[in-house]
Amino acid sequence: MPSLAEVVSQLTNGVILGLILALVASGFTMVLSVMGVINFAHGLLFALGAYLALSLHKVVGYWPALLIAPLVVGALGVMLEQTFIRRLYGKDPLFVLLLTFGIAMAGEDVIQMIWGKLAYSISPPDLAKGSIDLGFMVYSKYRLFMGGFALVAIFSVWLFLAKTPYGAMIRAGSHDSEMVGILGKNLPRIRALVFGLAAAMAALAGIIAAPLWSVRPQMGLDALLPAFLIVVIGGMGSFWGSVLAGLLVGVANSFAVMVVPRFSDLMMYVLAVVVLIYRPRGLLGTRSVLE
Amino acid sequence: MSALIPTPAARRAPIRMFVALLALFTVLPWLLTAIGLGVNLATEVLIIALFAMSYNILLGTTGLASFGHAAFFGSGAYAVGILQRYGLNGIVISLAAAIAAGLVASLFVGLLVRKKRGIYFGLLTLSFGQMFYIVALRWDELTGGETGLTGLKRPAPFGLDLSSHINFYYFTLAIFMVALWLIWRITNSPFGSLLTAIKSNEVRTQYLGYDTALYKLAAIVISGSFSGLAGGLYAWFQYAAYPQNLFWIESGNIVILTLLGGGLSSFFGPILGAAVFVGAQDLISGYTQHWMFFFGLIFIVVVTTFPNGLPEAFSKFVASARRRFGRTARETVISAQSSSRYGAGQ
Repeated sequence: MPSLAEVVSQLTNGVILGLILALVASGFTMVLSVMGVINFAHGLLFALGAYLALSLHKVVGYWPALLIAPLVVGALGVMLEQTFIRRLYGKDPLFVLLLTFGIAMAGEDVIQMIWGKLAYSISPPDLAKGSIDLGFMVYSKYRLFMGGFALVAIFSVWLFLAKTPYGAMIRAGSHDSEMVGILGKNLPRIRALVFGLAAAMAALAGIIAAPLWSVRPQMGLDALLPAFLIVVIGGMGSFWGSVLAGLLVGVANSFAVMVVPRFSDLMMYVLAVVVLIYRPRGLLGTRSVLE
Repeated sequence: MSALIPTPAARRAPIRMFVALLALFTVLPWLLTAIGLGVNLATEVLIIALFAMSYNILLGTTGLASFGHAAFFGSGAYAVGILQRYGLNGIVISLAAAIAAGLVASLFVGLLVRKKRGIYFGLLTLSFGQMFYIVALRWDELTGGETGLTGLKRPAPFGLDLSSHINFYYFTLAIFMVALWLIWRITNSPFGSLLTAIKSNEVRTQYLGYDTALYKLAAIVISGSFSGLAGGLYAWFQYAAYPQNLFWIESGNIVILTLLGGGLSSFFGPILGAAVFVGAQDLISGYTQHWMFFFGLIFIVVVTTFPNGLPEAFSKFVASARRRFGRTARETVISAQSSSRYGAGQ
């Protein structure tokens, strides 16, 4: 029987994992709801963030890397949207799915070509090294930093979406993107912006997760599948649904680590099955055009 | 109801096509050996073609893009492997188990996704398909974990030695032709017409009083069962069942090769797609480690330039070549005549 401190520390791990996953998933769901695109390459962008941080933090240090890498990956996201994805709007959604599938496959191999197949680890910044004594338990400083950072990132994205004119356009776009175009807003630019923003969010999640997860070519996949399930659990197109579902998946996962360690990966699938049976649209999902 | 009964022309089996395929696949091993490739390549083409044909019951006929079909294929492969662990390698029992495994797996996924459509359907099938991969990876006692079940044997029905590659090829061909005929029958039955109706307009089909969720479930299960059969054959073919057979990349490959062959519009298209894809795979992985890069490129090129498959791309190419390099005199005369005949009044 694990002690109370162990249980609490595991559950805290779960919450922090959940926040990271929520950051990945909310970008994914944003692209999905505004453009109706399932972006298989979202995991690739997550991995790219981590790899860029790996190379950059040796040169410029951790904090500048934390700023530069998401910008670079965000720009890459805009580029992907401009060169490939926009050609397929209005066509069968199957095609754009396969396109991003191909980008994800080729991209993973490009990562292998550049950085090799081996896994790397990044050391956390000096500020967040070691652990901290919280009185009832000793906890890793970096994990706390990660959680806090993810929380701030999620909150600022929400602020952007809810309180700025651009955010309003994006939200309107997720209801009816054609109407937004008709109303005279620059729809192509909004789409590029959404894609870039989502890419930057994925990269940011990748960087802050990097010191904890090993940086390896397949790490994109490790983030992408939870993101899918989180969208299913939270409800398509719902920002807070993604956050809630992310936390739920994180906590369920860490709980499963204590009880059935071998099958802990399966926990989120079980969760998705249960949600689908009882709430087919997800926890906070409403009826959407995607059904 | 009468609209659902196919026209006599559609109901007649395209005997010529079946005979041509049979003839082609009968001589294929010799053709391949003549150009220095092995019989095994032909066997793989057949099995993957069977997988793609069963997949196309869902994609081409019902209009549902499943991204988790490797789960059904792999379940079939594991069923054959697991039976062998318990000393069972009979041909009937193994194939029955492979089909049953595909059926049960697709029933499970189908029950969860039967009311969904479009990209949500794709997302869910991918997620739940991946679940089977994780189970195979973690349930070491039954599945051999990451290494999978290796060292499998092929059965020897009636003293026929299937460990000989050429014998196994013809054995596979026999099963392939029977399955192909069955799939053709299903696609061109009233039930198949209903699936096509769902593809063109699910809501309207519901208004006609059909329980489309039930029909979709049936399509998923039929498609999954045939995929399980293909997976069982594949386990014998590679003497193993690997977790990779269940992996989502495998699911993506089957979608792209079905599209590549023109499966969206043609019944036999997936066979062409399988042949091209398996051939390319063999070629590319022979030259470079970075096959994933090239495969990704193939995905991108196929989807952006000829999403309707090779046959359409070919006919477009021919048409544009004709335009560019001039027409034959006869064609010019005909087109001049037709333009003068139909263009006069405009």
